[in-house]
Amino acid sequence: MSASGEKADSIRLPLRFSHCQLLKRFLPCSPPYTIASPVKPTARDLRTPQLQLGNMNKCEENKSWEIIHIPDKPPFPLHQQPTVKVYAAVIDPKHANTLVRKLNKILPLENLHHVKRVRKQDLNEGCIHLSVILCLACESESQLDNIPQEVVELINSYKLETFITKVCKYAPLSKEEWIEQCKIWPTSYHPPTYNIRGITGFSEEESNSVCTFMKQALDLAKCECQMMNAAIIIDPSTNEVIAEARDQVNSCSCCSINHEATSQNHDKLVLNSSATKPELLNYGNGVSCLNPWKWFNQKSCSWHPLRHAAIVAIENSSVRDKLLFHGNEHVADNLDETNHLLKKQKIKSIHVNDDEEVVNSQSNGRPYLCTGYDIYLVWEPCTMCAMALVHQRVKRIFYAFPNKSDGALGSVHRLQGEKSLNHHYAVFRVMLPQESFDECLM
Amino acid sequence: MICLSELRHQYYKFASVHIKMGEEMPEIVAFMKLALEQAKIAFDNLEVPVGCVIVMDEKVISCGRNRTNETRNATRHAEMEAIDGLLEEWKEKGLTKHEVVEMFSKCYLYVTCEPCIMCASALSFIGIKEVYYGCANDKFGGCGSILSLHTNTTTSDSGEDVGRKSYKCTGGIMGEEAVSLFRNFYELGNPNAPKPHRQPIQQP
Repeated sequence: MSASGEKADSIRLPLRFSHCQLLKRFLPCSPPYTIASPVKPTARDLRTPQLQLGNMNKCEENKSWEIIHIPDKPPFPLHQQPTVKVYAAVIDPKHANTLVRKLNKILPLENLHHVKRVRKQDLNEGCIHLSVILCLACESESQLDNIPQEVVELINSYKLETFITKVCKYAPLSKEEWIEQCKIWPTSYHPPTYNIRGITGFSEEESNSVCTFMKQALDLAKCECQMMNAAIIIDPSTNEVIAEARDQVNSCSCCSINHEATSQNHDKLVLNSSATKPELLNYGNGVSCLNPWKWFNQKSCSWHPLRHAAIVAIENSSVRDKLLFHGNEHVADNLDETNHLLKKQKIKSIHVNDDEEVVNSQSNGRPYLCTGYDIYLVWEPCTMCAMALVHQRVKRIFYAFPNKSDGALGSVHRLQGEKSLNHHYAVFRVMLPQESFDECLM
Repeated sequence: MICLSELRHQYYKFASVHIKMGEEMPEIVAFMKLALEQAKIAFDNLEVPVGCVIVMDEKVISCGRNRTNETRNATRHAEMEAIDGLLEEWKEKGLTKHEVVEMFSKCYLYVTCEPCIMCASALSFIGIKEVYYGCANDKFGGCGSILSLHTNTTTSDSGEDVGRKSYKCTGGIMGEEAVSLFRNFYELGNPNAPKPHRQPIQQP
């Protein structure tokens, strides 16, 4: 989708259903659910996010859309933060500096960087009590025999009396969690250091765009014969559609999009989504990420076990990249020179923006893969697709429905929290109006 | 990862049928050498040097190498290339989906580096029989290093049977050769890496 109004007029968006009609198609034939009578959006409403400003929240269908950040670690109830046991000792404030320096040298608290080494307690009559964490304790044992020798030496020379206490295992994600954690043992709280837009909330304009693109993905996900997953890659800086795709694991002639590789040709986009036979919808079986192991059980004209929507969308985006920037291929014979120049340029470009990721790592304006782009998926991606999106350097992922069989962004695995990966995206779930309705889908 | 003694045990079981006694896993090493050749082709094409071969009935039926830079598509790993090549061939021959499933269930993959999380999942989806790899992949490995997608121990959130498929996975086959290719590559510097950092060399 383009930001310019002129272009927008030539864009025919695939949304021919109101959202509520769409919901009906998702649901089993005789729904016990009540669906609010649809306010049919006009084509104008849906054309561009710009046209919808301030509009969407008033629209009856959209009033309960909600965008939820799916964090790096599983959510724990505020009062049930996981803890680990540590050895600690009360110390004389005079020795605090020396002891902490020595301990940090001997035994830095790996994986517990959020935990403060020293706890200061204000006891009665202005008496200050300092305790210091010595080392991790065995979860089962309460004996001192697993304390490292160097720490034992410190204990002996300072005549410390050790005790076992608990500290929180994970860094706090919110101020509320932090306050709760500090009741156990003080920790430090750093609001997200990487400021991916949206983690700390969306502006009205942004949330309207998110809802618009999610609707577009929902509409793309259905065709005459089945419900599939759909993926749309967006450049959020321009709201341009970079690529879109449906599952191609099992498809019939009605399922295929006449896809043009470049986003300039959206007026040629043809979608067969006008069928209204919900009884024919074989719900869920067609969604590749929900049934990645059952690809061979379905009838279809064309098939491929690995062509899930996100994979195909990535492929489309790379085809677009190659078409738009075909003159910029690296030449093998002057590799050394190219490398040298590239490294210089990369160093420069890293300092351009502070809180946004570096969008263009190369001087010619060619984006590095999908750096800086968002992807909208109807269903939470499986492990294969979620890892593909790590490889392709997507910045934000939005999905509508969780994937309980192989979801890799919170349901079964949580790739956004795997620290060893070389790229991390932010993940959001877009909650549709009838909160309960997706539960019925599973 | 399977330990060497268990591997030997398997080899001897295997050997009783196929291999002359006295040589040490000659077939596995021979196929891994072919995978390394693919990795070298990737290297010569300025790609991250990973290569693989797929073997059925003791014959190489497909091969692949990393083509992520060339395609501008970071998902074009060696495994995906080799699988896509096979699917294309089998479809041309007119094989049905069930015949393809049957074929994959007889396939062995030899790859120079532990499959990443994406490829490890893909290998499970297609239902490969067995995987041999060179060096471990400490950053993205999906066969034990980060996740263990080759096992079917993960249960779905809903607890229902999703038809998850497992495959046997053995690492450390000519891992040093695979690592030294990586080392050479990162010495040169990946021309397409986004930031001026060098990835740590992965140790087997």
